[in-house]
This record gives sequence, C-alpha cells and structure tokens, in this order.
Amino acid sequence: MMSIVEFLFNPWVRGTLGLALIGLIFFSAVITVWLERKFGADIQSRIGPNRVGGRFGLLQLIADAIKLFTKEDLIPAKADKLLFVMAPIVILGSAFMMIVAIPFGAIVIGDKSYPIAATEFDISVLYLEAVSALSVLGIFMAAYGSNNKYSMLAAFRNIARMIGYEVPLGISIIGIAVMVQSLNIVEIAMAQSPLWFIFVQPIGFAVFFISILADMGRLPFDQNEAEEELVAGWGTEYTGMRWGLGLFAEYIHMILGSCLMVLLYLGGWNLPKFITGIFILGAFAPIFWFIAKVVVVVMTIIMIRWALPRFRIDQVVDLGWKVLFPLSILNLIWAVALGLFFGA
Amino acid sequence: MTGVIDSYIPVAIFFIVALITPPVMMFIVHQLSPRSKAERKLTTYECGSVPIGEARIQFNVEYYLYAIAFVLFDVEVLFLYPWAMVYINHGITAIATVEMFLFIVVVLMGYLYLWKKEALKWVK
Repeated sequence: MMSIVEFLFNPWVRGTLGLALIGLIFFSAVITVWLERKFGADIQSRIGPNRVGGRFGLLQLIADAIKLFTKEDLIPAKADKLLFVMAPIVILGSAFMMIVAIPFGAIVIGDKSYPIAATEFDISVLYLEAVSALSVLGIFMAAYGSNNKYSMLAAFRNIARMIGYEVPLGISIIGIAVMVQSLNIVEIAMAQSPLWFIFVQPIGFAVFFISILADMGRLPFDQNEAEEELVAGWGTEYTGMRWGLGLFAEYIHMILGSCLMVLLYLGGWNLPKFITGIFILGAFAPIFWFIAKVVVVVMTIIMIRWALPRFRIDQVVDLGWKVLFPLSILNLIWAVALGLFFGA
Repeated sequence: MTGVIDSYIPVAIFFIVALITPPVMMFIVHQLSPRSKAERKLTTYECGSVPIGEARIQFNVEYYLYAIAFVLFDVEVLFLYPWAMVYINHGITAIATVEMFLFIVVVLMGYLYLWKKEALKWVK
C-alpha cells in the first residue's frame, strides 16, 4: 500500500498522470460550452440548441468540434505571422499551466488526505495568479499580430481592465494567506475544515469574485470579446480551430477560476462535519463535494452573464481602481486583525 | 518527501504539453480542412470595406498612466506576500505589524495622490 502511494507521488509519475487532468478539463470545458448555450437559452425563454442529438442538443458539441476541425485556416496577408500563430499557444498554455497546480478534490484514507493534483508546491497560489495573468499577453499578441482595428481596441481595453483588477485580486488573496500562514493551495483548502473563508472575509470574497470574473473575461467584463461592438474582439481575424483554441482556453479559465474560488473561499473539498458523517461515498466524498461546488459556481457565472449587460470600459476601470482596491485594503486590515487576535 | 525542484517537474511536463498541443491540433486541421486560393480572403476585416491605414496605431498616453500605477501597486502586493508568511509566530509580530501598517498608509497616500491628480480618470 505504502509503496503504491510512494510510486504515485514520484514527480515524474505524478506529472505524467496529471496530464489526464488536462483531458478531463478539456472535456468539462466542452460540456460548459453546451451548458452555457442551453442554460442561457432557458434563462432568456429561448429553446437553444435542439437539432443535433435529440431535444437537448447533446450532440451539438460533436457537431461544433467537427466544424472547427474542418474549417479552412486563414492567416491574413497583413498579419504578423509569428505573433498570429503564437498567440493561441500562449492563451491555451496559460490555461494548461494553471491546471498543474490546482487540486481537484482529495481522496481521504483514514486520517490522511491525498489531494488530486499534478503537483504541490509552497507558492502555488502566487504561481496560479501569475500564470493566469499570462493570457493577457496572448490576447495582445493576437490583436497586434492580426493587425485589425477591432482586435486592437479589444486588446487595449482588455489590458486596461486586467491591470485594474490584478491588484485587488492579489490583495484579497493576501487576506487569506495572512490567516493560513501559507501560500500552498492545498493547505489553504484544508485550513477551511471548520469554517469557510467566505464567512470569515465576506468583503474579500466579494472583491475576489468580481476580480476573478474580470480576470476570466466573463460578462459583465468581457471587453476582450464584446461581440456587439467589436465584431469578435481579439479573435476577429481568427478562423476555425485557431479561434477554437482561444475559445476553449477561455472556458478552461472559467472552470479553473471557479475551482480557485471554491478552494480559496468556499471550503475546497470540506463540508460541515455533520454532513460528511452521514454521506456514503466514503473516500471519494471530497471529490464529489468539490465538483458539486464548482458546478454551482459555474452556473452562477453563466447566470450573471445572461442577467447583466456589459459595463462601459470607463465604468469597469473605475470599479477596479476606485471601489475594489480600497475594499481589498480594508479586507486586508480585517484579516490582519483577525490573524493577530486568533493566531498570536 | 519530495524536494523543491522535484515538485516543479510536473510543471515542466505540462509546459511541454502546452507547447505541443496547438501545433498538433493545427496539423490535424490542415489534413482535414479545404484549401482554396483567393486574394480577397486574406484581406483584413473591416466591415466589408477596404481597410484604411494600419491598425498598429500609437497608444493613448493615458494607458501609460494606468500601467505605471499598476506596476507600483503590483510591486506593493508582491512585498506583502512574504510579509504575510512571517508576521505571526516568528517573534516579530509587533514590529512587523506596525511596519506593514506604515507601509500601507504610505501606499494609500500615493493612491489618494493619484486619484487627486486624475490619473485614474478614463476620459479627461
């Protein structure tokens, strides 16, 4: 038994097995695309996809994939070819590099819990924040490379927005690091066993939620796409699968952002003790609860998309700098006070 | 259990996979997708009319103000990370807390100055 665990925790084995997580996340991104269309249709009293694969349009995903794979790949004559080709790699790469550090639940055997993550290291929260911010670079590369005015406008706005929200995001994460005394995301998730951080730091959660929405480029902050004003934003010149890679990266970002929210504020894979006691899944219960929480968060984000209109760019920037930044400092002071009161 | 460098081996593996995946997918696409030559297809999209000028224009200078403010505050955030790790249980709680309080006050004064100078105003 022990030797199996040791074998699985060998970094090479663990990293290689972790690649399966990429497949799973890719698959759940595809499902999220379908869910977004169907659920959004329900919210707006439309029917949504209903032609391919029965009444619920279940095969729509496969039809979409076939379409993406068989579209001609065009590179505009005026484009900077290297930047144009590299941009989807950077955008998707940022999403892939996030997967490596996120624990997707844990298996509990006896007293020990083994997180399901490709790796664990001490600064994983900082790493996740840094890698997630890389996608801005990819979007700017795409816009600058495709030499299209709509793309450039989208990229300018995107950078202005990301810049405004990266700082409150970082400070709200520090609010948690102050209380846990660790930047290891597994330890942060485990530290919420009695009490979730959403109840300890409600302001921090609000700041984090809004900032991560902006970070993911979801409505009401999707200035990087803004299809009603800017055609398709950064992806205007992209066709077929090259665009599809960016689309998948966006949905993967959305899922991973939800995972991050669950891990940092909604208790990770923990539940209040009285519920865990009566549950029958045993060692796999944490995975189930983790996925259930992520699904709830993803559904909330989809609902926000279909309920709210897009903000104007000056409103977005003002919200980030003039509201969220002071609020995040306030939350930090609150967290430090709590940490001093209970920790020292 | 595992060393510091060891825990980054999976990161390296994922990095290589992230580099390889898009080219592989584009290779499959090139096998499946049709090819046809027409010059007009390769023009830049601008609502169907002939594009006027270049898209790579000069930035509005106000973007730089935001960028400078961002760099300042992001570096401040980076200073807070190591502090958050050590300020309790390392015997320096009192002085660390006071120092960080002063640091945040100074940063907030800079922030108010920026606000007052309208550096955070989108349209001037």
